[in-house]
Amino acid sequence: MLEGAEFYFNVDHGYLEGLVRGCKASLLTQQDYLNLVQCETLEDVKIHLQTTDYGNFLANQTNPLTVSKIDTEMRKKLCREFEYFRNHSLEPLSTFFTYMTCSYMIDNVILLMNGALQKKPVKEILAKCHPLGRFTEMEAVNIAETPSDLFKAVLVETPLAPFFQDCMSENTLDELNIELLRNKLYKSYLEAFYKFCKNHGDVTAEIMCPILEFEADRRAFIITLNSFGTELSKDDRETLYPTCGKLYPEGLRLLAQAEDFDQMRRVADHYGVYKPLFEAVGDGSGGKTLEDVFYEREVQMNVLAFNRQFHYGVFYAYTKLKEQEMRNIVWIAECISQRHRTKINSYIPIL
Amino acid sequence: MSVSAVIFLTLVLGFLMGKDWNKRAQTIMKARLKGAQTGRNLLKKKSDALTLRFRQILKKIIETKMLMGEVMREAAFSLAEAKFTAGDFSTTVIQNVNKAQVKIRAKKDNVAGVTLPVFEHYHEGTDSYELTGLARGGEQLAKLKRNYAKAVELLVELASLQTSFVTLDEAIKITNRRVNAIEHVIIPRIERTLAYIITELDEREREEFYRLKKIQEKKKILKEKSEKDLEQRRAAGEVMEPANLLAEEKDEDLLFE
Repeated sequence: MLEGAEFYFNVDHGYLEGLVRGCKASLLTQQDYLNLVQCETLEDVKIHLQTTDYGNFLANQTNPLTVSKIDTEMRKKLCREFEYFRNHSLEPLSTFFTYMTCSYMIDNVILLMNGALQKKPVKEILAKCHPLGRFTEMEAVNIAETPSDLFKAVLVETPLAPFFQDCMSENTLDELNIELLRNKLYKSYLEAFYKFCKNHGDVTAEIMCPILEFEADRRAFIITLNSFGTELSKDDRETLYPTCGKLYPEGLRLLAQAEDFDQMRRVADHYGVYKPLFEAVGDGSGGKTLEDVFYEREVQMNVLAFNRQFHYGVFYAYTKLKEQEMRNIVWIAECISQRHRTKINSYIPIL
Repeated sequence: MSVSAVIFLTLVLGFLMGKDWNKRAQTIMKARLKGAQTGRNLLKKKSDALTLRFRQILKKIIETKMLMGEVMREAAFSLAEAKFTAGDFSTTVIQNVNKAQVKIRAKKDNVAGVTLPVFEHYHEGTDSYELTGLARGGEQLAKLKRNYAKAVELLVELASLQTSFVTLDEAIKITNRRVNAIEHVIIPRIERTLAYIITELDEREREEFYRLKKIQEKKKILKEKSEKDLEQRRAAGEVMEPANLLAEEKDEDLLFE
């Protein structure tokens, strides 16, 4: 690709970039969060949200207002915006959008496979699928009896097919633990996404590749942390690490051998980016957990993505920030509805 | 036997057979009274033991319920935390349900003759959700599992306590009813019957006494009359005194002196 995206980026994608920047400007600010934290009931939360960009999205809801209703409505709004962006996009931005939806598609496929195995009615499962991960062959899932049939008949058409082929042969699809399958799919997806961004070059690669590297390393750390004390063997664990991050290859090998948190921390100390993150982790229940620290760093990187122009990273960053905002609002709403306000300030602020 | 039947029988039989039967009835009644009193004491002891256990269980229930409130709140909050970090895992969990991991055994406990059911939980099988949240939120999920496990254990205990509470309540009511029945109905009845028998006996005795007295009087009058007659005849010289063996100076039968 030629360098100098500023010459021709706006021809195809300028409108959408402007739109997404406008959307980003209407994310909730610190002042909004302070207002929300001081609400006493969910009705107050609804009133406060009316003053923001959310507007009257809860206007048609019947009483009583629950946290899950708020969550569903916010997700619908995000989907509407995302679909709008996607429908108006041209290549290669549309491929970029497809890559973004792959992660939701992976979750949906795992859900569908599980449901098909247990002969649950398809309608039920479809209702629980993530709307962003919708693909056309979803309803056809119930014709398959076993996972390999499912793959041959249905999934071959979806963008997820290459990821399945990466992980395994069709025979092993049946015995594999669902969680391991999910993580393996996600690993191939991440690596494919990374390759796509790198090949695209230009500002997009400059912005997206660090973000994706961080995501890969973060997954490696979290998988290691969560597999202490489970029956997951070290070799299995190593196959789940995405290789597109900074930790590849030495860090991943060291991580695979780690037995507890301190050994993990020592691996992280070799890398300048991760050392301060691990130092910020508090001990026990008082301080932040590793996941909180990672979330904060992710939000930071996404916000910084908006400092450059003429790249696709703004769309990715916007979607992730919006999701984090949704999680924050749901967290605050739960704390309010359960009257458990001690940890109400542990949302991740988006500055 | 009903009271009236007893009284009727005593009257009839007493009339027919005299005092003996009454005395027998009295001893029978006394024995029954003793039996009723002993029964009442035993039942009262049983009722007291049950009430004591009842109060203990009540106290424990209150404690456990308060603790339950706290634990459930904690568990619901950890669910919110886990959802914040790990996203929505509820469908994954629901899809993968097959066998129960925590099961309950019912045992029996005996308090003063009342059997109370006691539930005890035990773990079976491995955790099929070990790898859920492997990529996100695993720590929060582990905390969530612990919190809800604690809540389940507490619920099992609470269930045990509440069934014992209800069973004991029933048993105490029945026992108390029996105690009251004996104390206020049976014993007074027996006592009244006993009192009646005693009055009957007294009356018969008095009748006897009166009869005896009357007979004595009559005899006395007869005696006086016959004495007066005798005096009169003696005075008239018609009566021959029979020989007094001791007062005699001369013994006729002695031929030679």
